Amino acid sequence: MTTVGHWEPIVTQIWDTVITPCDCCGQVVAKRLWVVDVDGEEHRFCSTRCEELYRTHVVPQRRAETAT
Amino acid sequence: MAAQDRTAEGIGDGIDPVLLGIINNNFVNICREMGITMTRTAFSPIFNEGLDFSCVLFDRHGNMIGQAEFCPAQLAASLFIVRWTVEELGVDSFEPGDVVLHNDPYRGGAHIPEHSVIRPVFHGGELWGFVANVGHLAEIGGKAVGSFAADATEVFQEGLRIPPVKIVSRDENNLDLWRLIMANHRTPRNTWGDLNAQIGSLRVAERRLLELLDRYGAEFVSQAAEELMDYSERWMRAEIAAIPDGSYEFTDWMEDDGVVDEPVKFHVTVTIDGDRMIVDWTGSSPQVRGPINATYGVTSGAVYNAVFHVTDSSIPKNSGAYRPIHIIAPPGTVTNVVYPGPSVGGNTETHPKLVDMVTGALAPVMRDRVAAAEGASACNFLFGGVHPKTGDYYANYHLEGCGWGAKDYDDGNDCTIVVNGNCRNTPVEIFETRYPLETVEYSLIADSGGAGRHRGGLGTRRIMRVGAGAEVTASALFDRTKGEFRAWGLEGGLPGGYGAILVKRNGDTEFRTFPEVYGTVSASKFTNILLKEGDEIMLDAPGGGGFGDPLERDRDAVARDVAEGIVSPEAARDVYGWDG
Ligand SMILES: [Zn+2]
Repeated sequence: MTTVGHWEPIVTQIWDTVITPCDCCGQVVAKRLWVVDVDGEEHRFCSTRCEELYRTHVVPQRRAETAT
Repeated sequence: MAAQDRTAEGIGDGIDPVLLGIINNNFVNICREMGITMTRTAFSPIFNEGLDFSCVLFDRHGNMIGQAEFCPAQLAASLFIVRWTVEELGVDSFEPGDVVLHNDPYRGGAHIPEHSVIRPVFHGGELWGFVANVGHLAEIGGKAVGSFAADATEVFQEGLRIPPVKIVSRDENNLDLWRLIMANHRTPRNTWGDLNAQIGSLRVAERRLLELLDRYGAEFVSQAAEELMDYSERWMRAEIAAIPDGSYEFTDWMEDDGVVDEPVKFHVTVTIDGDRMIVDWTGSSPQVRGPINATYGVTSGAVYNAVFHVTDSSIPKNSGAYRPIHIIAPPGTVTNVVYPGPSVGGNTETHPKLVDMVTGALAPVMRDRVAAAEGASACNFLFGGVHPKTGDYYANYHLEGCGWGAKDYDDGNDCTIVVNGNCRNTPVEIFETRYPLETVEYSLIADSGGAGRHRGGLGTRRIMRVGAGAEVTASALFDRTKGEFRAWGLEGGLPGGYGAILVKRNGDTEFRTFPEVYGTVSASKFTNILLKEGDEIMLDAPGGGGFGDPLERDRDAVARDVAEGIVSPEAARDVYGWDG
């Protein structure tokens, strides 16, 4: 399911509170994000598992909502 | 498929099933022994009476491989806490004898009082896995005594926040860190005793795990853990696949957030798609100012909790069982608080409502497995002060059991702690021996169980009086005390009774609400009210919802309820149509 993507480290300063959420599930990610293009838009996921969920559930659901 | 068939079919493709069962039981029993260590060595009643802690085993990749019968909310949060800690610190940073401490709600935690300690386990010089203990420390500073500020608007008011840090390095206490922590807690001696009890339980677990690895070989036990996780995943997928495909929705409300007197909306869509389940909280209210926001760990924990309630209880509880369940919790909503939003009540008031919502959504297709709503308030009552007899400062976090929802096949449980905790009732004697609070009444509340063919469980009433020479600073975080926010029924069952926290000041003749007496914004959520000698406080826990039409309730059951004072003769006549 995963297309071309890459892992991107989250670079923080010691005073930063890490607040980078996954674009799919919403959980805050610790050290690195899975960056991938979905339908021409760049998305940042906690894992390839969330990319799959995004492609197979979120995108079809949004399309269905737009269609109705 | 019967559980027995599934066991025979699913478990036999690798390691001998009996041996696999033995390894799994070892994992579970190591966790149980950690728990026994905690209850016998901790200083605070919240641990040795309330059992508000959980013990868990992980492999070196951060997968949960074993747990026992502890608090579901903490068990689920530990999935995120341990993985976060390993990722953030880096797996290579762990050395034998280290213990990492962590209570950050934005890093997987359930709420800030919950302190996790995590210890790596090395075997033959190689990191094999981790043992962890998540426990609710009763006092961690912040604006409220007991660290449960019902009117907090940011995390800084809720207590001392600690990202993953080594509190023990190679079995040497990092005393500078200990001093810093204890300087910020109101009852530092208890912090010392309770955290050391948690850390001690890790040492017990490490010893037992090493015995297991010596006996069977580290490689073999790792393989067994992998197979057990795959087995749990297959079993959970089979359970989910048995639910009809479709999307099921549910909406529920909380009466207020403690800061703004407005109801808060929660919405869920549960999608069954073959052998996977997707639970999406889109549509819930934006994050609120008060502390009833749920962390991602809480919302996920509530989903897992609900799913475990409606699937086969024999599924080994490890990371494999969680794999087919996907959770979407939009950041910045009440189901996924973002920094620096408060969240202390999200773990106690929001979690149980989210559990009920998931099962409520599935009720149309799983009616024989679900229950009506429970009281869904931990009835958090926090108090502290200087004990007039000892001169020592004390603080305690107390929670009450409420009524649980009725089911298609049975009445709801009475006086049971909310579904996110397996916590125990604190005995009357504890209040009277350790704190200056005398118990005036402790009883079940008649008619608090929602009427139905099966009746909701009853809530409890506890009245306590402040003892001679004492002043008690009290805070509370309750819910379901007004309006249409009672525990809902199913299939014609009626809602459960209201919760309440009321006060009768010394010399008064009746109990009144805290807004009436002290001008608090919320009747159910407030912070740092000073109670004086002779003042009485009444804690009413809400009842559970009923299931089915009350007129269809078995007549003998109604008669028994009336005889036992569970249902009043008036309610029996008016609601149940009883003419006995
Ligand atoms: Zn994700």
